[in-house]
Amino acid sequence: MAVKVNHSKCIGCAGCVGVCPVLALTLEENKLSCDASKCIDCGACIKICPFGALSKGDSK
Amino acid sequence: MRTDFDAIVVGGGPAGTSFARKAAEGGMNVLVIEKKKDFGVPVRCGEGFSERWNQVLEMNVSDADLGARMKGAAVFAPNGKKIVLVNDQTTGYVLERKMFDKRLALEAGRAGATLLPKSLAIGLVKEGNKTTGLRALHEGVEKVFKAPLIVSAEGMEAKIAREAGFDCKYDPYDVDACVEYEMVGVKCEPLIALWFGNEIAPRGYAWVFPKGVDYANVGIGVGGSTGADPKKLLDDFIGNHPEFFGDATVVEVKGGVISVGAPIKKMTSDGFMVIGTAAHQVDPIHGGGIGLAIEAGLIAAKHALKAFESGDYSDAALSGYEKEWRGLEEEKLGKRLKLRHVIEKLSDDDFNHVFNETRSKDLDEVLNGHFQGLAARIVLKRPSLLKVLKVLI
Repeated sequence: MAVKVNHSKCIGCAGCVGVCPVLALTLEENKLSCDASKCIDCGACIKICPFGALSKGDSK
Repeated sequence: MRTDFDAIVVGGGPAGTSFARKAAEGGMNVLVIEKKKDFGVPVRCGEGFSERWNQVLEMNVSDADLGARMKGAAVFAPNGKKIVLVNDQTTGYVLERKMFDKRLALEAGRAGATLLPKSLAIGLVKEGNKTTGLRALHEGVEKVFKAPLIVSAEGMEAKIAREAGFDCKYDPYDVDACVEYEMVGVKCEPLIALWFGNEIAPRGYAWVFPKGVDYANVGIGVGGSTGADPKKLLDDFIGNHPEFFGDATVVEVKGGVISVGAPIKKMTSDGFMVIGTAAHQVDPIHGGGIGLAIEAGLIAAKHALKAFESGDYSDAALSGYEKEWRGLEEEKLGKRLKLRHVIEKLSDDDFNHVFNETRSKDLDEVLNGHFQGLAARIVLKRPSLLKVLKVLI
């Protein structure tokens, strides 16, 4: 599982990285990515994103 | 470039560059790793900086370095009642962080620190149980840097500190989600203005921090666990106040997530220190952390220099930093957290009532941790509030 990042909404504040319980999110330069092998789909990052840039990804 | 240092700092914000400046001045070879290509961007906060922090900067700064001068604060209740407060915590500046952070980085570089932008810290280097360095991606190429001391000044992210075992993860309850516009054409006074109320900003507040006679940071923060949409609330707030924003337009969109909880339980271990927002060293009432970060960076550097001289980088040797920092800030921040937890339980009607009983002098006392007088007076007039306010009496 992995959260989907809407890069046109994300401003690279990294707040989501700090609340992710499993260190699945990384902000490199200003580009956010989610490691699907770590993400547990808890939704904490989606809830706190000020810009609504994160959403649930498709589970596989 | 060299790869062996006396200390490696992860993060080039105010905490990291302040640490680097002082440690380098004292003779340490310091490397500062910054993931972005420059320091101080993107701006993620209101940029407020109170007067009292000038005393801790240990750097010569002019008013021009510090930005717009603030003469105090104005606090608004949900019904619009306004109280103006002038003391050394509310007078100060609204910084231009892009300039201010760069100035701090410049001074760190001048003092002899090595700054390395475009470098993402990706993990610790270990020999057995001992941390001996850091791996980083510099312009996409992995490099290994060695040092007996790693300093996490990573801000919200704190991934290296968490890898090292520190409890830096943020609970959504302990953060505010914030959206802020820098706007021009705003009618503003040189006061930091704050609006409280559950309709305006659930478990948070709205703010106007003026950066000049006609432009300001205008923002809203909401409790991270509320799920409220700060951008919509900010647009509503601006629309509801044409007297301030009727002629205003947005020149920059900023935002982020700020810490409004308690500091982490432990800030040092063998060969490791955590400073600034990574250590949750942020004021839980207004989410301000620039001054606290600089102060922590400078205290940490003082104790790192002692370790550098003795060659002892053990937890016991480094923990002097945490002890000194807690001695200065812990009690005050603890009281403010208590106050925050009370404020967020008040309904808008209760808040209006509390504010009707509050004078500027009361607010001054409350911010300094003396709650009893005001709380007792309010409970006498509205006994139903005893349940919420008793923790303050």
